[in-house]
Amino acid sequence: MNRYFTLLMCFSFGANFAQDAPVTELNEVSLKYIKLKDSVYTTTQTILSDSILKRNPTSLTSLLNYNTTIYLKENGLGMVSSPSFRGTTAQQTAVLWNGININSQTTGQTDFNTVNTRGYDQVIVKSGGGGVVDGSNAIGGSIYLENKIDYNTGFENDLFLNYGSYNTYGIDYKTSYSTKNTSFSLGISNQGSENNYEYQGTERINKNGQFKNTNISTTFGFKLNKKNAINLYSNIYDGKRNFSLPTPNALESKYDDFNTRSMVEWVSKFKGIISNTKVAYITENYKYYPNIARDYYSYGDVGSLFLKYNLDYELGRMLISGGFNYNQNNGEGSDIKHEKRHLGSAVLGLKHKVNKRFLYEISLRQELNSVYESPFLYSAGVQAEITRFYSLKLNTSKNFRIPTYNDMYWEGLGNPDLKPELSYQGEMSHILHIPNATLTLNGYYNKVQNLLLWTPDVNGVWRPKNAENVKIYGVEALLTAKKSIASHTVDVSATYAYTVSTNEKTDNQLIYVPYHKLTTAVGYNYKKLSAYYQYIRNGEVYTTTDNASEHILNSYMVANFGVEYNLGRKNNTYILGAKVLNLWNESYESVLNRPMPGRNFNVYLNFNI
Amino acid sequence: MKNYLKLVVVFAAGLLLQNCTSDDREIIIDNPPPSGDYANGVFVLNEGGYTSSNASVSFIDDSGEVYNDIFYAVNGRLLGDVAQSMAFYEDKAYIVVNNSNTIEVVNRYTFELITTIENDILTPRYMTFDGDKGYITNWGDPADTTDDYVAVLDTETNVVIKTIPVAEGPEAILNNNGTLYVSHYGGWGYGNTISVLDAVSESVTSTIAVYDVPGDMVIHNNDLYVLCSGKANYTGDETLGGIQKINMVTNQVTDEIVFASGVHPGYLQIDNNALLYTLNREIYRVDFSDFTLPTAPLFSTISQNVGVLYGFKIIEGDIYIADAKDYVSNGEALVYNLQGQFKKNYNVKLIPNGFYNNN
Repeated sequence: MNRYFTLLMCFSFGANFAQDAPVTELNEVSLKYIKLKDSVYTTTQTILSDSILKRNPTSLTSLLNYNTTIYLKENGLGMVSSPSFRGTTAQQTAVLWNGININSQTTGQTDFNTVNTRGYDQVIVKSGGGGVVDGSNAIGGSIYLENKIDYNTGFENDLFLNYGSYNTYGIDYKTSYSTKNTSFSLGISNQGSENNYEYQGTERINKNGQFKNTNISTTFGFKLNKKNAINLYSNIYDGKRNFSLPTPNALESKYDDFNTRSMVEWVSKFKGIISNTKVAYITENYKYYPNIARDYYSYGDVGSLFLKYNLDYELGRMLISGGFNYNQNNGEGSDIKHEKRHLGSAVLGLKHKVNKRFLYEISLRQELNSVYESPFLYSAGVQAEITRFYSLKLNTSKNFRIPTYNDMYWEGLGNPDLKPELSYQGEMSHILHIPNATLTLNGYYNKVQNLLLWTPDVNGVWRPKNAENVKIYGVEALLTAKKSIASHTVDVSATYAYTVSTNEKTDNQLIYVPYHKLTTAVGYNYKKLSAYYQYIRNGEVYTTTDNASEHILNSYMVANFGVEYNLGRKNNTYILGAKVLNLWNESYESVLNRPMPGRNFNVYLNFNI
Repeated sequence: MKNYLKLVVVFAAGLLLQNCTSDDREIIIDNPPPSGDYANGVFVLNEGGYTSSNASVSFIDDSGEVYNDIFYAVNGRLLGDVAQSMAFYEDKAYIVVNNSNTIEVVNRYTFELITTIENDILTPRYMTFDGDKGYITNWGDPADTTDDYVAVLDTETNVVIKTIPVAEGPEAILNNNGTLYVSHYGGWGYGNTISVLDAVSESVTSTIAVYDVPGDMVIHNNDLYVLCSGKANYTGDETLGGIQKINMVTNQVTDEIVFASGVHPGYLQIDNNALLYTLNREIYRVDFSDFTLPTAPLFSTISQNVGVLYGFKIIEGDIYIADAKDYVSNGEALVYNLQGQFKKNYNVKLIPNGFYNNN
């Protein structure tokens, strides 16, 4: 029985290319000019938007793999995918949809292949602990999926079509219309692939790996008057995947996801006060068919209501924020008892710009609930612009992750006495502004206590418990550079991470955490012609807790190359593009014995009118 | 300004133009034993991680030397996904690979692959032989409680020639002179019967009701002994475990040992005059002359830091224990004598689950 239980738990795992923005953008805010905003000033954020979203395949897996330090574990292309951000586990990255935490309540993680990036205007990657602002799971970092509400842009339409190897296709259409006081947008994205690639060096192909998904996102904005605005957001994701076979004669299975998200936001501004009220309701539903020939499936179904209120008060050089969150989860599943849980928290923050070069911020959060211990969280940091070229940031925080529905309510095995995971961390960032380039160097330390793990008991039965403590430290280097000479523009963005993440008891590196990861993207633009090259290199990872060398996944490099030409005139773009994925035909895996595709091709068309 | 750009470009170019990677995984291929074959020793089956396709076979020769990954070493490919069990027939070894839905047939001495059986095999568990036929228990689709069967294999052609439908979750299979006993451990659900099959007519002739979750069976003096774990606490419907003695002439339960509530034994083996069974990480002994619940264990494996006791076998007067550790690291094979004294341990591979004597 153990083995079937394990199985259940496993499923329970760029258009106007950089003409005005670098390939990736470090979200640096200079203290000199801006008013204080309700955002974090003392940690590192990277914004991925525009061309970078279009030039990458639509999965969040691919986007983050090629552009950030995050290691992604993918069970073959398009299959279940999970992150390791700064050496943490799959559940220790928070994914937020327009400010609402959407990590699955059943598994605690987001399957990064069930997020279609074309449904969003930008994806922000925030490194390090963010528990005070982002709530549970923000230990390694947070991913923000954001829709923007723009005004005064008129009527705009964007159509993106692509077709490639293995019958991979994508149709994305976005239309938006806005006036001075109203805004509307609708995006529909439809993606699919036969995904029947060859396993290099073998006779095998990726059998039963086909997938398709549809994402629909809408936004409405209404400015009621000068002080009040109402915004509506919604997103529907409908994904159907067959699971590729680990061995050729294995039973064929499939997995359906259906997720909905909707939110009403009321923003009110008066006399230095910004009041923000959000009410959101999200649903997550999966169905796992262990045998596609039969109708039988197991499922999980959770509906979550969020109420968030925040008030910012500007007092001279200070911004004082206060708010509360209420979250109700109502879930059940084939093996999960029906449970409703209520979680609350209160937040208080202060940002103080002491002078043009120095800022500090402190924020506090008290969790309030009856289900598990309610931790008190904090985040504190400083930002100092020491010279024109050099800034320094320091931040320390305490973060947490709550037990999931599976952990607590799995029939017979769930453990109602679990405590949240706690993470204590500190980081230091050096930002160097050199002409045409910015280099950020981060060093961090993170101690995670009470790691929630399913481990075998003396009977060999898997049960959840607060099993281990983990010690993580690492350094990161993030570089963006851009230079134009006459009509030629070159831009480069690169990331490198060195990560040590060890189990305190054994001193062994955590499985599926590489010591080294490097990403590089270079773009070149000459008038209407653009070319780009992406390169990543992942260091070897261990797949067993004893770090045995014969179970290591080899290091690998993958590169993509694309060219595009803009046939449009004036404000209209008609881009014709082509790319080669895995240019060097590398044979690689990011999860043991789950080969990824070799060299393959994709062509695309983009109309923006 | 330009210098910075140059620097950046040079740096980037340096990174980008490397298009080869080092090979850092090392599957160390052990040289074959000096004798040139894998006779005179014990095979250890390492089932590997579920869906990781890294099952393997280790061989411990009589001198105590361990040879790991021998299937890979000889045949140049991986064995598959969850090696469940192994059975010998003449000079062949049949390796039952559960989640691959295959049976790999190899020469039991050279370990060279003869063929792979793929047809009519679905979630196979255990195998036995009668005459020139092999019999393989199959759960079918594990989530379907009605499609379970015993596959009949022609060992000449290595083709499944018939499937015999049986109750859900057929596990161990034992041959007593042409009568096959199949314990219904349960796959998705939980079984509580033993099917009796006639090897000649290839049909179920009788069903014996036993306690819940029957697994290992042994034969002693025309009696069949079956160990039933009982349903564990996490099932939400906990039941008692027991060892039941069944007269193989009448197919009636004639005697039994019942375990206390909350106690769920694991594996059963036979020594000449006694039964040995495991409970968590301890081994208990029941003499046939005194068929009662023992009060104290024969010995415990805790002093050897066994994590999960996942395999148990008596071979030529030695007790072999498989330690699966945390299921995510290489395991160990431990050897004790029949008095329970620890003799030796061997490092084997991921999730060892069984021992097979090739002497």
